[in-house]
Amino acid sequence: MPAIEVRNLVKRFGSIVAVNGISLEIEYGEIFALLGPNGAGKTTTISILATLLKPTSGEAKINGYDVVKEAAKVRQSIGIVFQDPSLDDRLTARENLDIHGRLYHMSREERQRRIEEVLEMVELLDRADSIVKTFSGGMRRRLEIARGLMHKPKVLFLDEPTLGLDPQTRRHIWEYVEKLRDEGVTVLLTTHYMEEADYLADRIAIIDAGKIVAEGSPSELKDSVGGDIIKIKCSDAENMLKKLVSNGYDAMLVDDEIVIKAKEAEKMIPKIFAIADEEIKSITYKEPSLEDVFIHYTGKVFRDEEVDEIEASKMKWRMRR
Amino acid sequence: MEDEKMISDIYAIYLREILRLWRQKVRLVTMIMMPLLWLGVIGNAFNSVMNLPTQGDFLSFLTPGILVMTMVFTATISGITTVFDREFGFLKEMLVTPIKRESILIGKMLGGVTQAVLQGILILILAIFMGVKFSGAMSIPGMFLTMFLVSIAFVSLGLAVASKITSMEGFQMVMNFMIQPMIFLSGAFYPTTFLPDWLKIMVKINPLTYGVDAMRYFAIGVNEFNIIADLLILLIFSITMILIGGHFFRKS
Ligand SMILES: Nc1ncnc2c1ncn2[C@@H]1O[C@H](COP(=O)(O)OP(=O)(O)OP(=O)(O)O)[C@@H](O)[C@H]1O
Ligand SMILES: [Mg+2]
Repeated sequence: MPAIEVRNLVKRFGSIVAVNGISLEIEYGEIFALLGPNGAGKTTTISILATLLKPTSGEAKINGYDVVKEAAKVRQSIGIVFQDPSLDDRLTARENLDIHGRLYHMSREERQRRIEEVLEMVELLDRADSIVKTFSGGMRRRLEIARGLMHKPKVLFLDEPTLGLDPQTRRHIWEYVEKLRDEGVTVLLTTHYMEEADYLADRIAIIDAGKIVAEGSPSELKDSVGGDIIKIKCSDAENMLKKLVSNGYDAMLVDDEIVIKAKEAEKMIPKIFAIADEEIKSITYKEPSLEDVFIHYTGKVFRDEEVDEIEASKMKWRMRR
Repeated sequence: MEDEKMISDIYAIYLREILRLWRQKVRLVTMIMMPLLWLGVIGNAFNSVMNLPTQGDFLSFLTPGILVMTMVFTATISGITTVFDREFGFLKEMLVTPIKRESILIGKMLGGVTQAVLQGILILILAIFMGVKFSGAMSIPGMFLTMFLVSIAFVSLGLAVASKITSMEGFQMVMNFMIQPMIFLSGAFYPTTFLPDWLKIMVKINPLTYGVDAMRYFAIGVNEFNIIADLLILLIFSITMILIGGHFFRKS
């Protein structure tokens, strides 16, 4: 039984079709990313899975329970970090977690122990008794993640967990998510940051206009676009090219460089070294990015502003170091 | 087992409401300042303008009215937390947890009632300091019963309004056009016997009139209607409001 099973999910808001026939199967312990631009239907999908919205048609099961017919059992199985803030900012971090624990019927001892654990994990233990109003955006985000984990859910939904955070905080949050992998929590996260999906997810579904256009592990997705490009410079290019071609490689000579199309460049490079007795001066390869994947499947570029945002954050990241 | 869970859920929601109230010092200060203003300044001003024979009497007449008025305001406004919860996302947090919708509703109602009754007690204490003597029959339990019935009715009204109206401005509108007329036509500030007939009808169909009447009966032993009738009408009004409040809250 998969942890999350979605079949032909459809959600209409009047004439808008926000989710248009999505099907998914996510195994226990998997980290799965829904990657898509603004308005693709990510939040709507998560809201249906978290029992906050009823689907127009189709069905979904979480931890074996139907999201419509067995909503109470689904709620008991999941934790969620919403895209928009949802903390009570008049309460302290500890009080927010405590109320949450009570709503999941955790005993007093359990609550106390778990509050320490989750606050420790998101590095907020020293601010446990501060009012949330005094927290920065990143701290609030971390507290929301702590709260989502407080009651040890089997399945955790993270809706754009790092939206608007600086690169350092983003890295931290990535680390927490990585830790969840070790704890065996199933994670369904949405993002429109390609690098985030690439870094965190075991599998990715690219979603556009309410439809899944491609699905697979990051490397599978990249391979599906047509594979990597390897470029070699060596002393006797002609001879090298002959050898490569006779070994079945898709190679050609461009200027004085040999260009090879490869499915998985990392694995191919050692083999190339093995057959080359010419002196290789340099060897480089480039994998297609998820961006290339997105363009390949949708014929569209991710909106410029977003690319700019990623670029800008990379810049900041570099400047800090 | 189910009941036990529900009680602890209600308590969790209630606890949060109280913690929030405790943190919002402005609200607490308002709770103290409002009766101080009404009883201290306006009560005394009325006294001198009306030139009543004994100082204590008019203040005693006014106190139950002010008590009911302030409680009605506090109770109705407490519904605004629901508007905030929706706006600031906490509603979603409550809705994804496994608790029943009814628990959220009841927890919130009890939070509002606590706040309104607390407000009532503050006024009582203040009034005692100002020399008002509570001499009605069954004074204390009767007053508490009336306070409870009035506050739960208006907390429910506040919740109903907050479930329907999503903006703060809309909420203020309802307060001004619904609550204020009800208060002015309830006999809270003056005996209604001198009003023209058409206004008297308005007074009679206003359920709050009976709240004020009951409060006055318990507090100072003065009343216009039958106390049993007062309480029955109040009870029916409260139950109706709870049902309406519950209905709108669940639908939203
Ligand atoms: N309550 C609603 N009423 C009407 N339309 C809605 C509602 N919620 C979402 N939509 C529409 O559904 C579509 C999908 O929205 P959704 O929030 O799921 O996108 P998203 O992928 O989460 O986008 P983002 O990256 O901006 O968060 C959008 O066109 C949006 O306008
Ligand atoms: Mg979204």
